[in-house]
Amino acid sequence: MESHMRHFRKFSAASRGMYIPEGRKGRKVVVIDVRPTASSRMADIFLQVTPGHDFEIASVLRAMLKGLKLEGLDEESLVGGVALSRWRELLELVKKSRYGVILYGIGLTQSRGKDLNLEQVITLVNEINRTARFCIMPMRGHANVNGSNQVLTWQTGYPFAINYNRGYPRFNPGEFSVVDMLKRKDIDAALIVATDPGAHLPQFALRYLQSVPTILLEPTITLSTSWANVVIPVAPAGVGAAGTYYRMDNVPLRLKKIVDFPYPSDVEVLQAIKERVRHAKNHKRAGL
Amino acid sequence: MLKITNGQVYDPANGLSGEVKDIYIEGGKIVNPSSASNVDEIIDASGCVVMPGGVEIHSHIAGAKVNSARSMCPEDHYDHFKVSTWESRAGTGYTVPTTYLTGYLYSQLGYTTAFEAAVPPLEARHAHEELSDTPMLDAGIYTLMGNNYMLMKVLQEKDDSRRRERIRNMITWLLTSSQGYAVKVVNPGGVESWKWNQRKVDLDTPVPPYGVTPRTIIYELAAGVDELKLPHAMHLHANHLGETGNYKTTLETMRTLEGLRTHFTHLQFHSYGATKKGGIKSAAPEMVDYLNEHPEFTFDIGQIVFGPATTMTADAPMQFNLHQLTGNKWINSDIEMETGSGIVPLRYRPSIMINAVQWCIGLELLLLSQNPWQVVLTTDHPNGGPFTAYPEIIRMLMDRDYRRSRIEKLNPRALRRTYLQELDREYTLEEIAIITRSAPARILGLTDKGHLGIGADADVAIYREGRNKSRMFAKADHVLKDGKVVFRDEQTLEGVAGKRFIVAPDGPRALAPDLVEDFKNYYTVQLSNFAVQEEYLLRPQEIPCG
Repeated sequence: MESHMRHFRKFSAASRGMYIPEGRKGRKVVVIDVRPTASSRMADIFLQVTPGHDFEIASVLRAMLKGLKLEGLDEESLVGGVALSRWRELLELVKKSRYGVILYGIGLTQSRGKDLNLEQVITLVNEINRTARFCIMPMRGHANVNGSNQVLTWQTGYPFAINYNRGYPRFNPGEFSVVDMLKRKDIDAALIVATDPGAHLPQFALRYLQSVPTILLEPTITLSTSWANVVIPVAPAGVGAAGTYYRMDNVPLRLKKIVDFPYPSDVEVLQAIKERVRHAKNHKRAGL
Repeated sequence: MLKITNGQVYDPANGLSGEVKDIYIEGGKIVNPSSASNVDEIIDASGCVVMPGGVEIHSHIAGAKVNSARSMCPEDHYDHFKVSTWESRAGTGYTVPTTYLTGYLYSQLGYTTAFEAAVPPLEARHAHEELSDTPMLDAGIYTLMGNNYMLMKVLQEKDDSRRRERIRNMITWLLTSSQGYAVKVVNPGGVESWKWNQRKVDLDTPVPPYGVTPRTIIYELAAGVDELKLPHAMHLHANHLGETGNYKTTLETMRTLEGLRTHFTHLQFHSYGATKKGGIKSAAPEMVDYLNEHPEFTFDIGQIVFGPATTMTADAPMQFNLHQLTGNKWINSDIEMETGSGIVPLRYRPSIMINAVQWCIGLELLLLSQNPWQVVLTTDHPNGGPFTAYPEIIRMLMDRDYRRSRIEKLNPRALRRTYLQELDREYTLEEIAIITRSAPARILGLTDKGHLGIGADADVAIYREGRNKSRMFAKADHVLKDGKVVFRDEQTLEGVAGKRFIVAPDGPRALAPDLVEDFKNYYTVQLSNFAVQEEYLLRPQEIPCG
């Protein structure tokens, strides 16, 4: 609800479809979270779990789905802070469903276990598909994160954490991701587009970033504009510049330009920089 | 003006088969020497073969599922990369190369045109964005229609002439909104049916949600394509792909469509017979016997290549079965009211009997068919294997002894189920030129491609002649795109943006009012935001209908 405001109404819980004309009444919404949120208040079932138990919960659900005996657990035993009987109810609901979807966010991927949590949940969805129609969709942060993933993937083969220092793309999250590069002090300059590191990076990473030259392309005043060495104001996409937006389900949408801005778009700035760099390199290459 | 001199020209559409002839180029076109200005550049093609640029009729190179496959398979990229140079960009990937690398790899094989084989209208914008980042190739996309809700709804219309008109309008609307080039049909009805957990669909099985049958879908769409006089026929991936005994379905599909132009894609995957115990065997002779009598049908092969492949198709149920069979990783996607899709990486091995039989069937189709103008060489990239295997396949077609040496490495049980070892035919260079450029250009209705006559696009591939045909075709000596040399001395000289082929059939561009209501209620985008804007086409070229 808080990061995708219109999702409930437009796409998931309350939308009216060909087979669920009644909308919200025809659907069951289950929220699993470590604390009550705006989403959990809208849910039919809210399972408040203890942090750090995602892998365990997914493993137990997989075992129950396969009908395996869970040794040492009875119906009242707590799995991730919730009674096993309630997980069983959830699984029955899943099995009876005509079409279900799991939407997940960084709570799953950035907590203890990280990618292993996700692998377990994806395997669960895969196994549910033997009998029911079920899918899973990452609800990545805000705005066009998916667009950046898509473009990087078709240009480099990888969605993020890409290193070009050998002249071809290499991929290794944990080594080439921003926080890790900053932690190792591997960079000596930064070009920052469409994000606000001042608001998102951990302190130690931010402190190092502030010590190297930074160029920021940014339409508004943020927690990074005060310390970046160069701030180039740009027209905001979808308001002052056209572009393409990839929705969380990979559907590409056209962003329109609504009003004229005195600033260039991100693309225009980057193209201009690229041309100047190429021009300079050309000179060097020709020995001028 | 540029002149290519002393080369042996293979231009089957103009009756040239190795004659030494000079080719003159100006303004991106092949020109008449008398009409043009002075020659200011000469390419000496002595000892070389000169052909029109290759035309890829069916390949998965751009769009949502291709990109999902890339991010799903980083292991496909680690060992296969290209460093950036001053003239070209870096890239990675073996079975699913990145966009720039795809363009460079096709170009060095001498290919200058390629079509992306399956695009859901809702995700067409994505495919066009990727094609804009795929240099060296003129390109187009095929728009998926075989499991479209609104189309199936239209098919319920009882009144014949009204139904026909509504289907034509629907095709026009889907093609123009997606900026597509041709009508693609994948497992008609079968994909939608699978979503409802009804696994087995035959040609006459009513399909949810409206109860139309696959036979109706293909017949009506093929007729619609014919009536609109689209440059390319209906491009059909028939039902029951990969299933043992499926050649009966394929033949029955062909009989249904008799007299209507149809392109049967990756026919290898649809030419499986069954042994008494239900095992796979070749039905290539049955297919070819039928096709030899039916010039209205064309087909491409979908040859499998031993080694890694990434299967990706809109045929979601087939991908699910493949995932179950191999235990390999799997992505499935459900595209709202339009289609589905699935991705499973796998490896074909000569030691596996089924793979060996599939391999033989593809080559049998190529060697048995009599009319090369009906046949196109494809691997259904990357489903049967990467397109970079074309030179190897060409060698197998042109060199009987080499083919035999490869057959010896197959699982011996495969030989009892196939006919390949009995076939002696060797392809000539002229026939290779037909199945890799002239035939696909003709089948696609591209009159400026696939030949070197006056007025043709100056897309030219020059290969240094050699005994080892695999080496000869692996890297062209020169490749020209729009009259510019883009590949020479094993180097990409320049990244050039290709044209985008689109069509503009007659009829209203708008959706029918009753369907507008459906769109409003059930799509997740607004109708006014649905159509792909012109901004997504860098160099659009409309190919006329009729």
